[in-house]
Amino acid sequence: MFELSTDVGNLKELREGDFSAYDAIYLGDFSCPEYPNNFSSHADLLEAGLQHVHARGQKAYLRLYAVPGNDDLAWVGDVIDTALQLPFDALEVHNLGVLRMLRERSCTAPIHLGVFGNLYTHETAKVLKDFGVTRVYPNPELSLDEVRYIAEHADVEVLVPVHGKIPLVISETCFILEHSEDGAEGACGDGSCSYQCTQDHWLKRGRGDGSRADWSLKDTGRMTLSGKDLCMVEHGGRLADMGLKHFYVHNKGEAPGYAAAVGRIYRDALTRAFAGEAAPDFAPALDTLAGLAREGLCNGYYFEGAGQRYIGRN
Amino acid sequence: MPKLLAPAGSLEMARAAVDEGADIIYVGPLGFSRRPYESEMSDDAIREAAAYARAGGAELRVVLNTFPTPYDFGRFVDKAVRYAADGASGFIVTDIGLMRALRREIPDTVLHVSIGSGISNLADAAFYRDAGADVIILPYRWDVAEIESVRRASDIGLETFLFETVQTGKLCPGKCIMSSYLRFRDWLEVEGSRDFHGSANRGAKECYRVCQANWEFGAAGADPVEIKLRRDARLMLAQLPGFVAAGVTCFKLSGRERPVGMIRDLVRFYRRAIDEVVAGATDLDHHAAELAELRGRWVREKSKRVETLMDRAAAYVG
Repeated sequence: MFELSTDVGNLKELREGDFSAYDAIYLGDFSCPEYPNNFSSHADLLEAGLQHVHARGQKAYLRLYAVPGNDDLAWVGDVIDTALQLPFDALEVHNLGVLRMLRERSCTAPIHLGVFGNLYTHETAKVLKDFGVTRVYPNPELSLDEVRYIAEHADVEVLVPVHGKIPLVISETCFILEHSEDGAEGACGDGSCSYQCTQDHWLKRGRGDGSRADWSLKDTGRMTLSGKDLCMVEHGGRLADMGLKHFYVHNKGEAPGYAAAVGRIYRDALTRAFAGEAAPDFAPALDTLAGLAREGLCNGYYFEGAGQRYIGRN
Repeated sequence: MPKLLAPAGSLEMARAAVDEGADIIYVGPLGFSRRPYESEMSDDAIREAAAYARAGGAELRVVLNTFPTPYDFGRFVDKAVRYAADGASGFIVTDIGLMRALRREIPDTVLHVSIGSGISNLADAAFYRDAGADVIILPYRWDVAEIESVRRASDIGLETFLFETVQTGKLCPGKCIMSSYLRFRDWLEVEGSRDFHGSANRGAKECYRVCQANWEFGAAGADPVEIKLRRDARLMLAQLPGFVAAGVTCFKLSGRERPVGMIRDLVRFYRRAIDEVVAGATDLDHHAAELAELRGRWVREKSKRVETLMDRAAAYVG
């Protein structure tokens, strides 16, 4: 009927968390190879992660590093070589050079294009299909109508984020480390990481008149996310009517328990929507979701406007 | 022989760049090239710029480096075919779907991969070569060794900005949609209304350079520090001989939104420097004073521009 997926960075989080609401798990943090025991950069941990997910009857997708420099290609190649020996249900790429590496290795597993793959049109999706891409994550700037247009005109699976922070920008180095006391002594990637990203970091900017911040962004070190949480819980019926089927909850950077709470709400809401039930009272679900979102909720760009606005159902 | 690629944000700037010896000038059609409308050109002006370039022995590239909306894809291609007929010898593009379409419709044109594609490694270069591109713009964080490594991996032409920077900060453009998350405005009549919304990445207006603004940053509950999200790039010079030896075929000067007088002086300066390198110079230290003066002007103009953009951002409702 539909697929609901989320992301988990490493084995510890996978074992300790409750991801039972999800049909599929994207394994790994594509933004930071230094993230502790990150599936995306630890070939030796792939098999254990894959087995854990498959044992629960879920699909396992492996995320590959999004912005490899020339020095990263060798280890990324090692991760790919290991992954191709394992029955992953798909590999996710963000970088077109990495996509080419998969083709060079005659990858037969389905390939998903990740959020930093810059997918804006159906014609681009058609080019990527020639390289083995079967699913695309359209750039978050696209409206729902544009997302549907791509799905229909490129005959490709489209991943539709329904909840969580929106990835806005990525970097090859760690912003937290660069601006910390530790960063003054070491450089990102040289082994001196003190994992300060385990604490929430925020970027804030006030209005020119000195009043408190009206712009807020969350920073996970190598990736900046929206301050607000994208929330589409009120729009399940619309998503179902549009023929969209693959939904995603962004979990990277959130506290333990976030994916479980959000997943339960969306599993219920989407199941009802796809069964054609009348829209329920969303107030309790919205209260819970708002309680998990420090800076509030938004609808992203789905309804054509600045990403941090919340439009709501009406 | 390496080429000097210069900006033409207006017809006046196009003429100045050609007069000062640019090998190629680049122009952006209204709504299709990631710049405010003041730095883009009408189709009539582009035709005139192409004629002026041709008469002056230069070429003209058209920047179509926004990401099309699915609805707008055909319009991109139609415009490109028309520009080619009007004398454009190539295009600067970002989207690989558009790249394929242009290669099919205009087989002999020169396709540059825009910085918006976010190339980060030599495998990317090989991908874009496969996709039909002739030239890629290299990240301005790369050094000579990395340029040589991509030269060995692909026969694609190599272009660099005339910038140097340090390996820190957010990646821009191509991997950033911060601006439109925070602020967004609709089309102005002068830009030609189109049936989609979005950021400068898509041709809508405009990137407010929020990364250049002052932000407070810190862990929750801790005292924040005031920072910008990216460090400014500096005009480069000392790297020129090494880059030419490593196989860079095209040097790109940014600045369609800068004053014409500044672009005129910069084209003249880099024309002289590149000619010296081609003639065998390996040390350009004698230009240090002039470079320092140009860098100062560049930074002052940039500060003014960021202030203007942030004022505009404040005026629009989220």
